[in-house]
Amino acid sequence: MTATAAHATPATSPTFNTIAGILRNDFKVEAAAIQPTTTLTDLGLDSLALMEFVFAVEDAFHLRIPEDRLDPREAGITLQRLCEVIDDLPLSSGSPAVPPFGSLAAAVIAPLTSARA
Amino acid sequence: MSTGAGARIGVSGIGLVTPLGHSLTTFDDALFAGRSAVRALTLEIDGLDAMQLAIATCDFNNSERSTSRLPLDRGTAMAMAAARDAFAMAGLTETPPDGERLGVYWGSGMAGSATFDETAIALYRHKRRIRPTAVLTTMPNAAAAELGLLFGARGAALSYACACASSAIAIGEAMRAIRGGWIDIAIVGGHEAMLTSGTLAGWHSMRVTAQPPADDPSTACRPFSADRAGFALGEGAAALVIESEAHALARGMKPTTFLSGYATNCDSVHMTNPDAGGQVRAMRAALRDAGLDAADIGYVNAHGTATGAGDAAEAMSVHQVFGDAVPVSATKAIHGHLLGGGGAVELIATLRALVHRSLPPTANLQTPDAAFELDFVRGQARPAPRLRHAISNSFAFGGTNAVLVASRADLTD
Repeated sequence: MTATAAHATPATSPTFNTIAGILRNDFKVEAAAIQPTTTLTDLGLDSLALMEFVFAVEDAFHLRIPEDRLDPREAGITLQRLCEVIDDLPLSSGSPAVPPFGSLAAAVIAPLTSARA
Repeated sequence: MSTGAGARIGVSGIGLVTPLGHSLTTFDDALFAGRSAVRALTLEIDGLDAMQLAIATCDFNNSERSTSRLPLDRGTAMAMAAARDAFAMAGLTETPPDGERLGVYWGSGMAGSATFDETAIALYRHKRRIRPTAVLTTMPNAAAAELGLLFGARGAALSYACACASSAIAIGEAMRAIRGGWIDIAIVGGHEAMLTSGTLAGWHSMRVTAQPPADDPSTACRPFSADRAGFALGEGAAALVIESEAHALARGMKPTTFLSGYATNCDSVHMTNPDAGGQVRAMRAALRDAGLDAADIGYVNAHGTATGAGDAAEAMSVHQVFGDAVPVSATKAIHGHLLGGGGAVELIATLRALVHRSLPPTANLQTPDAAFELDFVRGQARPAPRLRHAISNSFAFGGTNAVLVASRADLTD
């Protein structure tokens, strides 16, 4: 596994390892598919599972990712980017943190428009 | 006769997640020994007096995921585990049936109430967002939907919410669907897993749950006893695979036990007070459906909740239908009241009695209520070498009654 972004979170970082563990153990994602460069949309999870993954990440790191920063118009967020966002966030302590995290729900919210009600 | 009114329906597989264990072996061991899984729980909620409850829990790790890899309500996860075992026992894992002819008929009284309870706590106490799966995990048909996906059932995926009769009705309605020719085979049963604070407090407030005795909490539920004081809430799931005889034979299966009759009706008398008259009509209708007389029945697995009014009504109705000669026992004393899943668990207890030709005892029944003129099996299991037919009663809040008649194959089969 390699990190390619300018200020990359190493693939062996505790943050990445925790995320990888959630994806493997809870969401049954193949280990080979869990790379820093993997985008959320490439994890093979449907829209609801991706949103549940976000919750699982929030629970694991005791933080909150505000919904108003989840912009469905943006796409392509990688696991590496997710790690950076997590590492930049303060732990949840009352008021939620607002991360530079505009694209997390790109793969999450948009597909819901086709959901069966 | 393989289908049509009155046809008996084969039982090909059984799966269990119960406080008595997750295999037929452990279930049988506890069932025929009358060994209770009931224990005490002190429920403490901020601002309220502590509540003493008797409960029966399952040793179950809720790591099961949906076919979409989503988290599940605990009860749905139990349902999937139980159904998977029933499917395997029926010999269907390697050679699954035609999905167009496979149905899921599932019962639960409160379905995702535990998840709902936890969601409310997360939202109002911890100010957490509602999870995107909150609706999918709490909707009453969550388990039926997941089972349908898991097994590729395209014939039907139906849910029945009739309180304590839910799974008995699910099983009976599947019988009707098979008899009617709509499907050939079904995964049936039910579950309940609602032992969370809010739901437990709700049941406690109704004053129908037993206080656990300090010296031996396992004796909290004492059906038909003079000193009965209510039930112990339980959790778990029970699944069966049932199919027409023709379908079973075509795939080389020869069932040894059958569902031979079913009836459901409604008291239309009171939301919680039972009506012996309605129960009598349900039992007699089930016997007619099976083509049997009362004298053919060798065992009654009673609903037996150990409430004052519930046991009194059932003792009266069973006596009116069968007199005092038929042996009666109630197994809620050991596995707790599984509510919507209870009918399925108790049908399985009835089927095991037929298989072993042994009648499970009513645990904790030292002194039967003197007003009840019935032959209670108590103390230890009773041999029943000629047992051929038995019934399982399920009587629900809301007045819905369900009676299933089960039979074993005879020498001519």
